[in-house]
Amino acid sequence: MTAPEMPPEATPASQTSPSVLQRAYTFLVSPKLAIALLVAVLVCCTVGVTVFRGARAWELIFSTLWFNGLLVLLAVSSAAAFFTRIWRRKLTLVSVGMILFHLSFAALLGGVVYNGLFRFKGVLRLTEGETLPNGSLESYDVVEHGRLFDMARLRGKTTLVRLHRDFKVDGANKRAAYEIAVEDGAARATGIIYVTEYLDICGVRYFRSKEGYSALVIMYGKDGRELYGGHVPLQSLKQASGGYLYATGTAHGAAPLQFPAPPEHSLGELLLTYRPNTVVDRAGEVGFEFWPVGADGAPASVRKGQAPVGGLFDAGDVAFSPREIRYWVGMDVRYDPGLNVVLASLCLGLGGMVLTFVGRLRQGAARKRAA
Amino acid sequence: MRTEQVLFWIAVAFYGLSAFGYIFGFIARGEKLLMGGLIAAAAGFLAHVASIAVRWGVGRATPFITIAESLSLGVGVSVLLYLMVQASTRKVRPLGVLVMPVAFVLIGWAGTLRTGPSAELAPALQSGWLWVHIVGASVGFSSVLIAAAAGLLFLLKEKGQGAVYDMLPAPAALDDLSYRFVAGGFTMYGVMIVSGAFWANTVKGTFWNWDPVEVWSLVSWLIYGIYLHLRITFGWRGRRLASYSLLAVAVMIVSYWGIPFGVNTFHTGFRIEH
Repeated sequence: MTAPEMPPEATPASQTSPSVLQRAYTFLVSPKLAIALLVAVLVCCTVGVTVFRGARAWELIFSTLWFNGLLVLLAVSSAAAFFTRIWRRKLTLVSVGMILFHLSFAALLGGVVYNGLFRFKGVLRLTEGETLPNGSLESYDVVEHGRLFDMARLRGKTTLVRLHRDFKVDGANKRAAYEIAVEDGAARATGIIYVTEYLDICGVRYFRSKEGYSALVIMYGKDGRELYGGHVPLQSLKQASGGYLYATGTAHGAAPLQFPAPPEHSLGELLLTYRPNTVVDRAGEVGFEFWPVGADGAPASVRKGQAPVGGLFDAGDVAFSPREIRYWVGMDVRYDPGLNVVLASLCLGLGGMVLTFVGRLRQGAARKRAA
Repeated sequence: MRTEQVLFWIAVAFYGLSAFGYIFGFIARGEKLLMGGLIAAAAGFLAHVASIAVRWGVGRATPFITIAESLSLGVGVSVLLYLMVQASTRKVRPLGVLVMPVAFVLIGWAGTLRTGPSAELAPALQSGWLWVHIVGASVGFSSVLIAAAAGLLFLLKEKGQGAVYDMLPAPAALDDLSYRFVAGGFTMYGVMIVSGAFWANTVKGTFWNWDPVEVWSLVSWLIYGIYLHLRITFGWRGRRLASYSLLAVAVMIVSYWGIPFGVNTFHTGFRIEH
């Protein structure tokens, strides 16, 4: 955004009445515009972390067209202001550093725009043993993608083989690690991902994000016949004591769900809670609260009880068994084709800053020696 | 009281003495008080390093993670850089008039927030990027703190005359010193931001989230970017830039330790669990 050792605002004396285009060009390459834009971005960022915060700041400032337009204008203006002023000047370590630094802005902008057009981000929720097709939007809880992204890019299907707790790498505990397999026709890739390790398959990256328990609940009739069975994902709800309650419901609190789940015919509402065994993984006690549908269609009185994993809870007309506990995971699936350009431009910018700094130190030392 | 705590509070006491020496050295125009301030700073630094080393040994986790540890590291590196400047030239001994009071206040604040050493490093932090990131952040902060101190000396030199003031280099040299440390701090903040972007890309898959800590670091970086533009492109020098550097370091302290740690962010997430 700056040129080294230049007199400010030098303009040719021969110019008398510049055209509108010339004026626009002069305005665009003016360092005053660049610094005004820098200040404007600074003010927006400050407002975005003081007056508004988090999601509100994202909604009102950082995700808006005008703010992103401001960033684009800053990148263009600063590069234009810099390169018009440094053009045909002698190259020094300082000026090379500055050129790299300002070039990195343009490269960063290009990378971000390209990535924004073609990117994809989805949250793939899988229970151990479950497989979902990558190319189907229904496989994802949340999806964001660029205007030009083609879903055909997400080929094959993904399976969560197993979640490993207290997974250790070189003695360091990585806590949760997901063993996943991605199949595309005959090709199959497997890998283990954890917080500092992701899996990259043809540019599509899989990141560990969140995980929880899922109980396989079987419903039996009076005659002991299996009526229905399904995996019930449980929410982890932080308690005032600091511990966690694992229960059906939403992130805001425990709540019952229809059982069997739609589209099957519901026989009542079921609220599950799970207290994991602190010693044996996937063991523990499961609490049941069941509101059977009465003869008139209204919920009958609640049946409460609990059973160990693998045990049985008698709820009157029906019985429930928490046959096993598995884990579910939410994986971030990302495709960012502009990412390498962005990261390379960050390195370029940093390299430019270091060169400029070293160049300045050398200039200072040379001046001292001369003195 | 644990050894590590004793050493920490000895460091706080010495930094307090040093701050006292510098402030009253300036008021009383006594060179001996300034010398006392320097000796106390060096003694405090030794105790400080020892407390960090003991904490590291006891806890086994890198002791630069919690807000108190982060403050402690920032102060430690600032005092180290200050002592290095002192070792290279005697002319700017009064730089401590800003560095040591700030160090004392920050480490005192850290003292009120201290918790026991961690037995384990959170998985998200088990990365080589952690080192690049914290070195960039702490050296960057130290550099701009010294730049602000040089700015303060510039302003004082303009107004005062006599014993202590006569020790100081010419205003132009102070101005140049401040600029060099800002340029260095700006570069180190660049290291911090870029390493943070690479690290976030490994952990979250995205290099930038507009997370409050990220935005605050961008704010700080832009503030110093504007400083450099004002100086290089617009030819600002002297009083205006000296005042700017003082204001900027205040914003830096708020952005580094003040607000971001008080809100739920990607960074605080590192501290809770993963």
